[in-house]
Parts: sequence; structure tokens; C-alpha cells
Amino acid sequence: MSFSLPNTFCLTRALLTALSCLLLFSCGEEAEIRSYEIPTEYTGPVVTWELPDDWGENPDISGPMAGSFHVKTDLGPMGRIGVMPFRESVSSVDVANMFGMELGQSRMDEDDLKEISEMKDIEGRNFEWIRLQDTGHEGSTRTILLALYRNKGETWLFPFIGDRDLINEQQKNFESFLASTTLRAGEVEIRAKAPDLPPPPAHDQHGGPTWEIPSHWVKTSASSMRLASYEVKDDNGSKLDFSVTSFPGDVGGTLANVNRWLGQIGIDPVEESSLSKYVSPIVLDEKEAHLVVAEGDKDSLYAAILMVDDRSWFFKITGSRELARVEKPNFLNFLESVCFH
Amino acid sequence: MPTSKDKKKKKNTLGERRRKFAWLVPLASINLTLTLLSLSMILVFVATLEQVRIGIRGALAEYFESMYGIWHYPEQFWGGDFLNAIPIPIPGGYLLGGLLIINLTAAYITRFQWTGKKMGIQLIHLGIIMLLVGQLATQAMQEESRMQINKGESSNYIERFHGVELAFSDVTNPGTQKVVTIPQNILENGGTIRTADLPFKVQIKHFGVNCDFTVTPEGSKRGAIVQEVNRGVGQTANLTVSEKEEDFSSEGLNFGYLVFELFDGTESLGTWLTLAHPGGNHWWKESPKLSDLAFQPIRHEGKLWGVTLRSEREYLPYSIELLDVENEFYQGTEIPFNFESDIVLNMEGNQSRRALVYMNTPLRHDGKTFYQYQMNAAADYTVFQVIRNPSWLVPYIACVLVSIGLLWQFSFHLVRFLRKNSNSAQPA
Repeated sequence: MSFSLPNTFCLTRALLTALSCLLLFSCGEEAEIRSYEIPTEYTGPVVTWELPDDWGENPDISGPMAGSFHVKTDLGPMGRIGVMPFRESVSSVDVANMFGMELGQSRMDEDDLKEISEMKDIEGRNFEWIRLQDTGHEGSTRTILLALYRNKGETWLFPFIGDRDLINEQQKNFESFLASTTLRAGEVEIRAKAPDLPPPPAHDQHGGPTWEIPSHWVKTSASSMRLASYEVKDDNGSKLDFSVTSFPGDVGGTLANVNRWLGQIGIDPVEESSLSKYVSPIVLDEKEAHLVVAEGDKDSLYAAILMVDDRSWFFKITGSRELARVEKPNFLNFLESVCFH
Repeated sequence: MPTSKDKKKKKNTLGERRRKFAWLVPLASINLTLTLLSLSMILVFVATLEQVRIGIRGALAEYFESMYGIWHYPEQFWGGDFLNAIPIPIPGGYLLGGLLIINLTAAYITRFQWTGKKMGIQLIHLGIIMLLVGQLATQAMQEESRMQINKGESSNYIERFHGVELAFSDVTNPGTQKVVTIPQNILENGGTIRTADLPFKVQIKHFGVNCDFTVTPEGSKRGAIVQEVNRGVGQTANLTVSEKEEDFSSEGLNFGYLVFELFDGTESLGTWLTLAHPGGNHWWKESPKLSDLAFQPIRHEGKLWGVTLRSEREYLPYSIELLDVENEFYQGTEIPFNFESDIVLNMEGNQSRRALVYMNTPLRHDGKTFYQYQMNAAADYTVFQVIRNPSWLVPYIACVLVSIGLLWQFSFHLVRFLRKNSNSAQPA
């Protein structure tokens, strides 16, 4: 068997054909951006909004917040507006007390609430409108405006915290912001209505901690937010508010929580590098925790932050600076008694 | 008996073809065939050695699904200390397979006599060509995916084993969900992505197919990859991500990661981190801190978008409902004897079909084959391996052709031999 040698042209053509065939097999599918519609898979609640032009968004959303905003002013960002969806029907009294305590108000009941609340129709939706004034500090114009909307057992809370004048000036914007919101309840079964006054978990059945409270601390009503709530008073009328709260996750982290608390007693927020000025390590029930000690001009705050099984525990006492100094050893004794079993 | 005229005609036909396709003659060389087969053996040997190091998928990608691979002589072999440093190019599966197809086709045209006598040989070679072409077609077209279904639930999508996509879902409207997906190839290219389907631009900052991730210890700074992250789970959970090479082994778990920034015009909306779970993004829900990785909310212009990096997903026009699962093991062992899924296939037009899917008895529907792949009876879920291979019939046809060819050729020679024997056995 003999073959004649092919000429150069033939060889080139053969190689080109071979290479073309190989390239054909090497060609892959071209990647492309796809867009399609499917029946909704998302079962959670839907909360959306459109911001007024002179509002800005705060990126550091923490805890149960779905959104956090400020008002842009010549002096910089002012006020704080939030969006907090609750997957349960929280009571208005609990919500009002939670914010009221931050303003130094004493606990209010249903009748008290009626005096400061009204129903407001915004674009066909009824919002409960609660206005809280700072009564704990003389001359303070700090105000909290709460708007609550309820739908299918779920509650959306929109707190607007700021100076009274700022809130009055921005009320129209606040209303147009509320009107722009889309609020749709989730399809997943929601929890039953939270009891108004759950008993404080002195001994939690679900593996929560136990503790020993100093005998002269007076128990006040806990709420769906507070697992335990106590009040300490002296003869001069000074008082301290003590609470135990717990949330899933780190609720924004130590820096965010400490800065929020510092703001409540009139201290400027700090950078992470200066956090050690107020925060020091402590051991609670053989677990590493943070002790927060901050003393403002009038008020002081002592707190402990502990992370257990991806859950944050906050033990906080705040109020009159002088009384806080007296109660500090009792607070530290309380912390020593905390036991997670 | 063929006449001398017939012989001349046959010879002329082959001669004519050789003249006409003279340029194919060198490609039909038997030496080329033998060289390619020898190289194939080397390829198989090297890939088998490498499989230990880089896993089956790695060896397939490096040596078989490529034109060439670079091999380093193993260090542990004799002289490995010195020889390991030398990169040795090995011809890849595509190159050898492609050249073998060309070689066989060229031989078919320029060397084979197209006569009934040689038809067996032609059929055998045609079958081998079909096998090679079929394999290349399979490589190019076959898609492997997985479908996980929880007991009592149904699923209407499959997820690719390899490859991720960035998915944005607009869930504002009740009833329908708009989904925009950006595939891995585009994410790998980086840059800024603009599409009319999204109300914002997506700037890719870091992308990788595998990573280690952890909550940043307090007091330390987040790693370089996630330093710019200021929104979403990456920020709230304070995650640190470090790049990791893709694990090709069969047990390998690859967590893809992506850091991206969104822009509305020139205004930045923030920088997010998203991670892809190798078992499917529903697994993030098992971890309270990371559960939002399955759906990180982004609110923009009055709409709620959810973003996630997930295994590339394909929605089907039908769904499969899992009624029950059952697994059996060989007595006293943990070696599976049988996995069985009792399912209902819900097709378009309200039609449904009940079926049992178990080992070696897959469900075939609409060009896809659902094999029983994994199962967890305790957790009440099943996983199907879903194969779409349009060329699945080719190897069967090829084998039939080769069998007929062999039968023909042997029969032809047998008959001729028997005839010859019977002629010579006749008494003189």
C-alpha cells in the first residue's frame, strides 16, 4: 500500500478542517442575564417605602429594624425614623411604655395611652398615632412619635425620634412616607397575640437564666420586650429602671448598642477604638461578657451584654447618677447571681 | 465471481475518492491512529493518577474536558524531587477525541472499499465514530442537576451541581415574583453590570467559587475581601471571608462568595456580601445568624427585592411532590440496599402521574431523567440527580452498529471458510 505525498496546499487545508472541527466541539453556551416571572415563593412580610427627598438612609440597621432613616439638615443628619415589623400583634401600651421609659416616663396604662394617642387615616389606612414627650429631663424637647399599623395579626411600628420642632416640621414628610409604604403580612403562620404582661422568667422553662434580685428593688410589669423589669427609688424621688431583655442575634453588635444607650443619657457616641472607655470584659456564669459603665451629667447606665447560643442578653440599669452609684454594688451582685444552668 | 471489469470499477472508485480527497489522505494514516490511541492510554493513566490528588471532577475538567492538560510528575515517584518541577503537557480528551474522529472519517473516505464484502468493517468504524461523536455531544450538551424535595412538599426547579448565579427577586407584587439572574461566567468577568430588568447597577467587587467564612472575632478587623461591606448579613453578622481554592473532590463543599455594590445612577446604595450554600440556600435557614443569606432584602423605589447567590437554577413547567421516602440497608451495615421515593408528577393541564423512583429505576419526563441520588429518611427529604442528555441514545445505536458489523464480518469469513472447506473436501 503506498500513498503519494500530498502537496502543501492539501496539508494546510486538512489541518484547517481538523482545527475547525475541534473548535466546533469546544464552543460552549454563552452566558446571559435571564429575567422571568414565577409564582411567588417568598412567604415573609413585605415592607417597602419611598423616602422623602430630604431624608437619608442609615446603613447601620440593627435588631428588629427593617429600615432606619434621618432627616438631612444643614447641621447634619437629625432625628431617627425606623421601620419595625412585628410578626405578632403587640399591645400599644407595651410599645408606648418601651419608648416612654427611654424618655424617663413612668409606666402608663390603657387610660393614659388614650390621652396621647389618636387614629389617623393615611391614604385609606388607619395608623395609631402616639406622641410621647420627654418628662424625665427638665427643659428637654426630645419627642417620640409612634405610628402603628396592624394587618392580619401583624404590626408595623414606625417610630420617629427627635426634637419636638423637627418632628412637627417633618410631620407632612412622615405622613407621605407612611402613605408610600407597601405593608403586606407574611404567609407563614404567625404567633398568637403576645400576652400583655408575661411573668418575668425568674426561672425560665426554656433554658433561660435565673437570678437573684435585691430585696428592695420593686418589680414592675414586664412586657413582650422585657423579660424582667424592676424599679429602684430613693427618698429624694430619684429612680432607676432595671430591665432584662433578650433578642436573637447580636442586635447590631456591642458598638451600636452601647452608642444607643450613651445617647439615652446624653453622651456622644464613640468610635469602636474608644469603646474601651465604657466597656470592659466581665465573666458571667463562666461566660465572657461585657460590662458597660457610663455616667452622664445627670443619668448613669450600667449594663452587661452576654451572648449565649446566638442570643443576646442585656441586663441594664439606668437612671439617676447618684442613686446608680449607690446601687452599683447591688447590680454587680445581681450579675454574679445570673445562672444559665 | 467478480469480473475483471468489476474489480477495475471498484479500484477506480477508491482511486477516484483518493484523488478527490487527496488532502484527507495524510489524516487517514494508520500511524496517526496508533499514535492517538497510545496517547489516549497515556491520558487515561495520567488522569487516573491525578484523580487521587484533584478528585474525579478535577481530573475530568483538567484532562478530558480540555484540549490539553499540564501534568507534574508525582513527587513521591522515583526522581520526583527533580522531575516534579517540569510541567509536562498532556493532550486532552477534546484534542485526542476530535483527532480520532477526523482520522477515522478520513480513513472511511480514502481507505475503505465501499463494498458488501467490507460492509462489516465499515459498520464497526461507523459505530466507533458515533461513540466518539456521541461522547463529545454529551460533554457539550449534558446537564447535571439536583432536585431536593421535603416530604409532603413539592418542587418545580432543579439546581446545577456546579455553577452559581446571583439572583434578584422582586417580591413586592402579591402572586408573582420577578426574578433576574446573573450567571457565574458574568460574575467571574467582574466589572459593572447594567440590565434593563434591574433598577440599579451591580458592580462586582470580589467573586470566588469557594471560601472560608467566620464571624470576625471581637477586636479584630474584617478581612480585606469584606472590608467594604456595609449592608446586609455580612455587616450585621460581622462576617469575615477568606478565599479558598475550589474543591473538586466528591465530598468537597464549595461555598461561593460575592461582594457587590449597587448603584442608582452614581449614588451608591451600599455594598453587600452574599454566600452560596453547596447544599442549596435553604440550608442557611438552619443558622439563625445567617438565615437572611437566602434572601437579603433590598428596598428600592418602593419595591422589595431579595438577593441571594445560589446554585444555578432552572424552573420546570411541572412539579414533583414527595409523598413518602424509604431506605433500606444491608442487615447489620450502613451500606444502602435501596432508596425509594414515592412521588407524584404534577404536569401541565392538571394531569398527574404517580411513580416510585429507586436505584436504577429513574423517572423520565420531558427529556430529563430523575435518578434517586440521596435521601434522608430521618429528615424526610429526598434528592434526585437530574440528567438532561439529548444524545443519550447515540451510544446505544453505536453499540448496535458495531455488533452488526462484527457479526457481518465474522459471518462473511465463516461462510467463506466453510465454503472453501466443503469445496476442498470433495473427492477428486
